[in-house]
Amino acid sequence: MKFKPIVLSLLFSLLLFACIGEDIIADFVSPEIRIENPLQSLGLNESHQFEARYLNNIGQPENVAITWSSSDGSVVAIDENTGLATALQEGQAIIRATAVTTDSLSTTTTVEVTTETIVENMARNGSISSTSSYTLVGDFILEPISTGSLVLSFSENYVASTSLPGLYVYLTNNPNSINGAFEIGKVAIFKGAHSYMLPGNTGITDFRYVLYWCKPFSVKVGGGNINE
Amino acid sequence: MQKSALTLLILISLTLTTLNAQWVKTKGKGYYKLSAWSLVSDQHYTDTGNIDPNVTRGYFNLNFYGEYGITDKWDIIAYIPFYSRTYQNKQISGTTGAVLQEGESLNGIGDTDISFRYGLLKTSKLALSASLKLGLPIGNNSGGSDGSFQTGDGEFNQLLQVDLGIPFKFNMVPGFAKTYLGFNNRTMDFSDELHFGAEAGLNFYKNKIWLIGRILVVESLQNGSLSNQTNQGSIFANNVEYVSVGAELAYYLTRKLGISFAYGGALSGRIIYANPTYSGGIFLDIK
Repeated sequence: MKFKPIVLSLLFSLLLFACIGEDIIADFVSPEIRIENPLQSLGLNESHQFEARYLNNIGQPENVAITWSSSDGSVVAIDENTGLATALQEGQAIIRATAVTTDSLSTTTTVEVTTETIVENMARNGSISSTSSYTLVGDFILEPISTGSLVLSFSENYVASTSLPGLYVYLTNNPNSINGAFEIGKVAIFKGAHSYMLPGNTGITDFRYVLYWCKPFSVKVGGGNINE
Repeated sequence: MQKSALTLLILISLTLTTLNAQWVKTKGKGYYKLSAWSLVSDQHYTDTGNIDPNVTRGYFNLNFYGEYGITDKWDIIAYIPFYSRTYQNKQISGTTGAVLQEGESLNGIGDTDISFRYGLLKTSKLALSASLKLGLPIGNNSGGSDGSFQTGDGEFNQLLQVDLGIPFKFNMVPGFAKTYLGFNNRTMDFSDELHFGAEAGLNFYKNKIWLIGRILVVESLQNGSLSNQTNQGSIFANNVEYVSVGAELAYYLTRKLGISFAYGGALSGRIIYANPTYSGGIFLDIK
């Protein structure tokens, strides 16, 4: 019958719609350079090895050469290539780290030369909010505990929607993607205070965002900046 | 996504209901259709009724739908999605072009419906029938890398429904209108549901063309304990609600044989995909 090939063609055409396609994810973030171990103070005649990390346009660490400089070499001297700083006299100096890239991104940290060296490891806080239609709100604090590990604690005002399947919490440097993010775990508490113990090798400056992500939908639900 | 499969089946049923379904077949008569059905979804209705994006997921099936008159009062009806496919798009970084997540798919047989329909009343002015639809969970309800790929919902539905229909003429064009009310008893801690809706069709061009419009409302009774937290791996869990509309165009190529195309989509909803469904197929109407 004439219509038979037409119908079969139609069925096969529909089958083509069942092919796996591609979704393009808008995952651009501005590159940045970050000093990973800033100081509160540097003891006179003591040294400190600064470390810096370059994060590319998807928030991933990338190996690039970094140069170091001091605003006042008589207060804090720093090796241009290694980042080893030495306190020469009491006072204040601004240490700059610059990535040897086309955009020459740089960042600074202020060093106060006093009687003792104190590594900055202060608690950092922030607030999460929803970027979707699902409820997500609350304050958090990221802080070290006596063992040296970090704890991410949410306040009593935390609320998350229970309607989402597979809601996960991450630490990341790219709020648009979980690529390269550290997965803390599946969300099991949806209201009230609670906390997550982070692995011992997690640094307080390693991540910039707390991210809530729905895995089955592969979409961001919300999150918040970790304030410095 | 335990629930999504059922929701899909309901949406499928919206595009598969046969003509004048409240009129039972007489003994030996039947209606049989072979169809392809497709939904490609990149957004969904949230728990608050708003629309949010999601990674593109597709659902496709090839199915057989058949009605057969066992007696003048009893029909047996089967819906068999003998090939069901669930897939998810590959995710590509818009910045680097790198693959962030590979695409994935699951193929298999889908959940199958077996229904029994009884003609309660049939006159020249109206027809009243009752039916019991049994949703057999023979599909896969936990496939794929994260368990969220499904060709079935894993639960046994029992939908008891009453259909009331009337024939009419509109500007000398014959047609029908019907309304229906159903109660869906669900297992596995899913909430039960109320289904109600309406349908109207007009018969054009020497009885060769049927144009049909449908609306279906599903209300959850909110009496199931299943939640997203207890429903591992599912995308949509319990208490799905929606208002959906559908349209179908059927054309009789011969007195018995024809082709049909159907559209369905949710006008509003909660925890359900927000993209339209399409189907097309060939049918045999033994009158």
